[in-house]
Amino acid sequence: MTANSAKALVLPLAVLVAFEAWARATYLQSDSLAPPSEIVMALFGAFADFSILTATRDTLFAAFAGLAIGTVIGLALGIAFGISDTLNRLMEVTVEAIRPIPSIALLPIALIALGFGYRMEIVIVAFACVWPVLILSRAAVRSIEPRLMEVARALRLPPAQRVWKIIIPAALPRIFVAFRLSAGIALIVAVTVEIAINPLGLGAGIMLAQQALRPDLMLAYLVWIGAIGYALNVLLIVAQNRLFGRAAMSGGGQ
Amino acid sequence: MASAAKRLEAVPATTTAQIAFDGVTLVLGGKTIIENLSLGVRPGEFLCIVGASGCGKTTALRLAAGLYQPTGGRVNFDGQPMREPRREIAIVFQDYGKALLPWRTAAGNVSLALEAGGMPSAERPARIEELLRTVGLPGHTGKYPSEMSGGMQQRLQIARCLAQEPKTLLMDEPFGALDAMTRQGLQDEVLSLVAASGATVIFVTHDLDEAIYLGDRVIGLLPHPGRIGIELQVNLPRPRDQLSTREHPEFLRLRRQLFDFIKATEQ
Amino acid sequence: MNRAAILWRVASFAVAAGFIALWQLIANLKLVSPVFLPGPDRAWASLVRGFSSGDLWSKLAGTLEHMAYGWLAASIAGIAIGAIIGSSRTMRTYVAPSLEFLRPLPVSAIIPVAIAMLGLTQAMALFVISFGAIWPIMLATIHGFAAVEPRLYEVARSLQMSRLAVISKIALPSASPDILAGMRLSLTVALILSVVCEILAGLDGLGHWVLLSARAFRSADLFAGVILLGVTGYVTSVAMSVAEHKLLAWQAAQR
Repeated sequence: MTANSAKALVLPLAVLVAFEAWARATYLQSDSLAPPSEIVMALFGAFADFSILTATRDTLFAAFAGLAIGTVIGLALGIAFGISDTLNRLMEVTVEAIRPIPSIALLPIALIALGFGYRMEIVIVAFACVWPVLILSRAAVRSIEPRLMEVARALRLPPAQRVWKIIIPAALPRIFVAFRLSAGIALIVAVTVEIAINPLGLGAGIMLAQQALRPDLMLAYLVWIGAIGYALNVLLIVAQNRLFGRAAMSGGGQ
Repeated sequence: MASAAKRLEAVPATTTAQIAFDGVTLVLGGKTIIENLSLGVRPGEFLCIVGASGCGKTTALRLAAGLYQPTGGRVNFDGQPMREPRREIAIVFQDYGKALLPWRTAAGNVSLALEAGGMPSAERPARIEELLRTVGLPGHTGKYPSEMSGGMQQRLQIARCLAQEPKTLLMDEPFGALDAMTRQGLQDEVLSLVAASGATVIFVTHDLDEAIYLGDRVIGLLPHPGRIGIELQVNLPRPRDQLSTREHPEFLRLRRQLFDFIKATEQ
Repeated sequence: MNRAAILWRVASFAVAAGFIALWQLIANLKLVSPVFLPGPDRAWASLVRGFSSGDLWSKLAGTLEHMAYGWLAASIAGIAIGAIIGSSRTMRTYVAPSLEFLRPLPVSAIIPVAIAMLGLTQAMALFVISFGAIWPIMLATIHGFAAVEPRLYEVARSLQMSRLAVISKIALPSASPDILAGMRLSLTVALILSVVCEILAGLDGLGHWVLLSARAFRSADLFAGVILLGVTGYVTSVAMSVAEHKLLAWQAAQR
């Protein structure tokens, strides 16, 4: 373990130890806090009865489904707007008018249209993911080396092939960065929808724990949600470096 | 050939020196950059330091500025050991773009030095205008550094340094990044500024002609570790002139000596 | 803007108007039940009604208040904490990794903890909004302070500037582009969390308005609220951008 990664752990470990000691010393009885040891126990318990695993599966399912839909739509629009400047300019006002609407504001609409459950959550996640993918893939397409576009035209490739064989591969590193950003957003929005109103997934789990006055379980869910978010981020960064290496660096590999 | 480096004893550090290096050694990152350097700069003297890349001339300047502390020996200013930078020692950096505040105008940048010196705000505008005029930037008070050319930015930095009312002016290859014409113009401006203020100057450059043209004395450093290899008194008449001084036989003689020295050190 | 740009703008508005007309058509033909999709005419009528005789003003004010208090608290705390952490290399080595770990965490997950501590109250909302909004600002401040040009610190040492002067005259202005960008991101977070808290805790605001409208199947009011939220997001973002532009005029000079 390098010196720097050892230093990185000093603060969190110190906080955990201090918290544990303080909770034990004061015989903590609280609805909102629990000592780290109890949090870990609650986490194991939630694993043992699969409750947290089911919740994780539900949240990730909704998040990924919404991410997939949002990415496909955002990518299609982003590529189209990137290729055709005319289309982009004509659609500018419409896009800029709809984009600022917070995805969470659509929650009531989705609720009355689709009721509780996966579908409404997927729709909201998809809406949230469309915009970063659209904006960034449009920028990626625009920044493609013009020489490549000339090659495509010189080879007289039909439009579909031009997109598939030249544009997408050339823009892929930056498109992946957009995808990675949206994945984070997808998870956040999914959990938020569940916390606000949807009775499924990790968000519902943490709210139920709070209502049942189980702070240990509630904080266990909190830690687990954080771990999932972190793991997802790390996974995608590793994937990005593996797949694209240096090519993705210009797109901001962080 | 007598091109072998002349190992002269440097002028011993005396109590009348404005800046004195007394057996200074500096070790950075395990490497001895400067070893046992002794040198004294008289008040009002214009000292130029030359040497091949990596000989430690910039390091010596930063020691004089108090930005580095010596590992061994002492750096004295006015007879007192220097433990930290002081306002009476102003340093003009080579990378002028990085040494200016991009969010302040030219006036604002000069003002920074006046503020640090505690000048009341009512008195500042007049002094700022005066300083900018002195360095040849009249009417540029409201411009941002990014709107100015390289030569103008360097002048601005010099103006800010002059605002410190320095007893000593340290200049680290200040004209290295500028074109030849701008460089010559600034050389003459620096000479007249220094003559007017009477400040002591330590001027680091890799341009041998520039060193002889500007200085009263030129010191050449040997690399690895940095130590004095040659010392030349420049007995050329002042004020200097870009054409006549550079054609003076003494100028050419000194030039030859320095050139041979540098060539020898590069082998 | 030159003539060509103006023409494109007009054409773009025309396209948007076309979409609205399409929306009206779908509503008129009742292709989607009016319970779910009101026509733009009804949404507009609801907006007008809400402002003239209804209490849409107070709802809007409620959301703006939540946003404002949370965002201001987050800005002050975020810049202060970020400055302390960002200006010291030791602190950065020890603290920054933990912050990197916490960054991808969905901030809404703090809501149940806040409810446990403070109940379904305004205080809970203020805590949640501030907590969520602090991250972009603090992280941006740390980054800005860490990235100050070292040469400027040497200039400060040479001028024997006091520590306070170094922070206020050199570090803060140098970090201001990052800090302002962080503050703009925080506005978006503040809006989202305001809506979520209003929905959850029934606090007075647009979030609560749209939820009630949904429950009562008043689709026109619902859409009016959603549109208003979008407008709020847009206007606050633009206002922030204008402020950024003014304060960072020296950066524009570089272009």
